[in-house]
Amino acid sequence: MKEFLQIIKKEFIHIFRDRLTLFLVLAIPILLVLLFGFTISTDIHHADISVLDLAEDSQSKALIDKITASGYFEVISYPMSESEIDEDFKNKNIKLAIIIPSHFEEQLTNEKFVTLQIINDVSDLNVASILNNYIKAILHDFTLSYNKINEADVPIDLSIHMMYNPEANCVYMFVPGIITMIMIIITALMASISLSREMETGTMRMLLIAPVKKVHVVIGKVIPYMILSFISTIIIIIISLVVFHMPMNGSIGLLLLLCVVFMLTAASFGMTISALVNTQLDAMMITMMGLFLPTAFLSGFLFPIDNMPYIFQLMANIFPGKWFIIALKDVMIKGSGIGDIWSYLLILFGMAMVLIVVSLRRLDRRR
Amino acid sequence: MRLPFQHTNIVEDSPYSIEVKELTKQFGDFTAVDHISFNVKKGEIFGFLGANGAGKTTAIRMLCTLLMPTSGSARIAGYDLAKESKMIKRNIGYMSQKFSLYDDLTVYENMQLFGTIYGIPKKELKDRIFSSLKMLELENKYKTLVYSIPLGWKQKLAFATAMLHRPKIVFLDEPTSGVDPIVRREFWNLIYETAAQGVTIFVTTHYMDEAEYCGRISIMSHGQLKLIGTPTELKEQMEADSIEKVFVKFVVR
Repeated sequence: MKEFLQIIKKEFIHIFRDRLTLFLVLAIPILLVLLFGFTISTDIHHADISVLDLAEDSQSKALIDKITASGYFEVISYPMSESEIDEDFKNKNIKLAIIIPSHFEEQLTNEKFVTLQIINDVSDLNVASILNNYIKAILHDFTLSYNKINEADVPIDLSIHMMYNPEANCVYMFVPGIITMIMIIITALMASISLSREMETGTMRMLLIAPVKKVHVVIGKVIPYMILSFISTIIIIIISLVVFHMPMNGSIGLLLLLCVVFMLTAASFGMTISALVNTQLDAMMITMMGLFLPTAFLSGFLFPIDNMPYIFQLMANIFPGKWFIIALKDVMIKGSGIGDIWSYLLILFGMAMVLIVVSLRRLDRRR
Repeated sequence: MRLPFQHTNIVEDSPYSIEVKELTKQFGDFTAVDHISFNVKKGEIFGFLGANGAGKTTAIRMLCTLLMPTSGSARIAGYDLAKESKMIKRNIGYMSQKFSLYDDLTVYENMQLFGTIYGIPKKELKDRIFSSLKMLELENKYKTLVYSIPLGWKQKLAFATAMLHRPKIVFLDEPTSGVDPIVRREFWNLIYETAAQGVTIFVTTHYMDEAEYCGRISIMSHGQLKLIGTPTELKEQMEADSIEKVFVKFVVR
C-alpha cells in the first residue's frame, strides 16, 4: 500500500512541477465554458428591428408593445415606406422588419386571415431563423389572446411547450459536451502520455524491476489524473450552474457518481492506448484521432446523433462520450434518478472494466 | 501482504550469487539468447560484454525478472528465477544505460520514491539517503532537481539509489556511457568499494579498459556465450595483449 501511495505521490509531483500543463489543465475548462457560454449562444436579446405600421390603430400598437415587451426585439425605427426599410437594413443594421398592413384591426375583426409581412436579414442564417421563430411565437400568442378577449373563433389551437429547456438555452447542450472533452483530455490523453513517457524513457523498467505490482504502478499513475479531471469537472459544473443558470434537477450525488464512472472509463481508454503504443507521440496521436475527435463528432456534443447516417449512429455506441452525455443531461436537466440512468452507468462501467483488464494483461507480458 | 524489509540471506551453501543454466530466449523464430550458462561468485565483479545486438540486454532483462526465459533456468541470489521472482526483485539492484532517475524530481524525492517502493521503512530510509548522499558529497544537493545535476553525478546518484535497499547483486547496464574519464574512474572506485562489501556486481560496458577492471568477463556473440574467464586468461587464450583485441578477434571471428 505504501508503494502504491508513493507512486501516486510521485505522479502528483510530476504534475505540479509542470506548471504550464497544470495551469492549462485547470484554466482551459474555465475558458472553454465561458467562451461557449458567452459567444456560441443561440439566444438573441434586443435584436434591432424596424416596424412599418400602416394601420396605426389600437391593435397594431398592442402588437408592437407585445413585440417590444418580449425582450427579444428593440424597435429602433419606424420607417414611413418600404424604401425606408431598405435604408434601415443598410444603414441601421436592423435584423428584421415588420410591415403591419393598413386596417389591421378591421381585418382582425372581420376577416379570417391577416397578412403580416416580415422581412429578414438572412446574411446570417442562424440569427434569421431564430428571430423568425421568436416573432412567430409572439404573433401566435398575440392572435390567441386577441381571440380570447374578443371571444372570436379559434380554429386551431397550436400550443408549443418546450420541455426541460423552456428558453431553448444552448448552455444545456454544450456543458455536458465540454465536461466529456475535458475528462478525455485529462484522464485519457494525459494519463496515456504519462504512461508511455515512462516506457519511452525507460523509467518504467526501474519501477517494474522493483518489487511493486504492475497494477499498482499503472493505477497509481492514473489516479492523479482522475483527481485532476474531477476537480475540473466540478469547476465546470459550478460555472454552468452559477454563471449560466443551468438547472440541477437531479441529485448531486448521482451526478458525481456518473462523473466518477466516466472518469474511470476515460482512464481505461488511456491505459489501453498506452499499452498498445511505444512512444508518447503515438499515444498522443492515437488518443486524439482515435478517441478525442470521434467523441467530439459522434457523441452528440456537436451534431445530433439521430441525424447521422446509420453506420455512424452505430459507431457512436463504441465511444463512451455518447452514453455519458445522455446520462448527464438526464440527471441535470430532466432530474432523472438512478433508476433511469443505471443502464448508461452499467455500459460505461462495463467498458472501463473490460479495457482495464485488457490493458493490464497486455502490460503484463514481461517485456 | 508486504513483508517487512529484511536482509534476506542467500542460500549459504552455494558460493554463487548468480547461477545460469542453458538460459534461452526466443522471439518468434529469432533466438536472442541461445542456451547460455555461467556462474558468478558472491562479491565478484563480473563483466558482461558483447557487440550491440549480441543478446546482452535480453539476457540482463531475464536475470532481472523483466522477461520470462523461453527455456533454461537460473538462480539469482539463491532464488529460482521461474518461481521466486518477487524474492529476486528484493535482492537485486538495477541501474540502466539510460539515466534512470526522474529529471523533474529532486535528488531526495527520487531516492525516497525508490526506497519506499523497495519497502524501506521511512526513518531508516531517511538515514540511508543522507548517509549515501554524504558519501557522494551531494548532501547539500538533496533539494536540487535531478535535471540540473551534471551527468557524472547523476550516474553516481543512480548507483546510490539502486543500492538503497542493500541488494545482494547489482546489475549495471553500461553505467558509465557518456561520462568523462575522471567520473568513470570515480565510478569504478565506487564499484570496488561496493564489491568489497560482498555485493556481486554484474556490469556491461563498451569500454574495454573497464573490462580489464573486472574480476572475470564474458563475451557474448550471436546470442551465445562462449568466452568466459579472467581478463588475463582470455588474453592468453586469444593470444592478444588487450581485452579490446580479444573482443575484436572474438566478435569478428
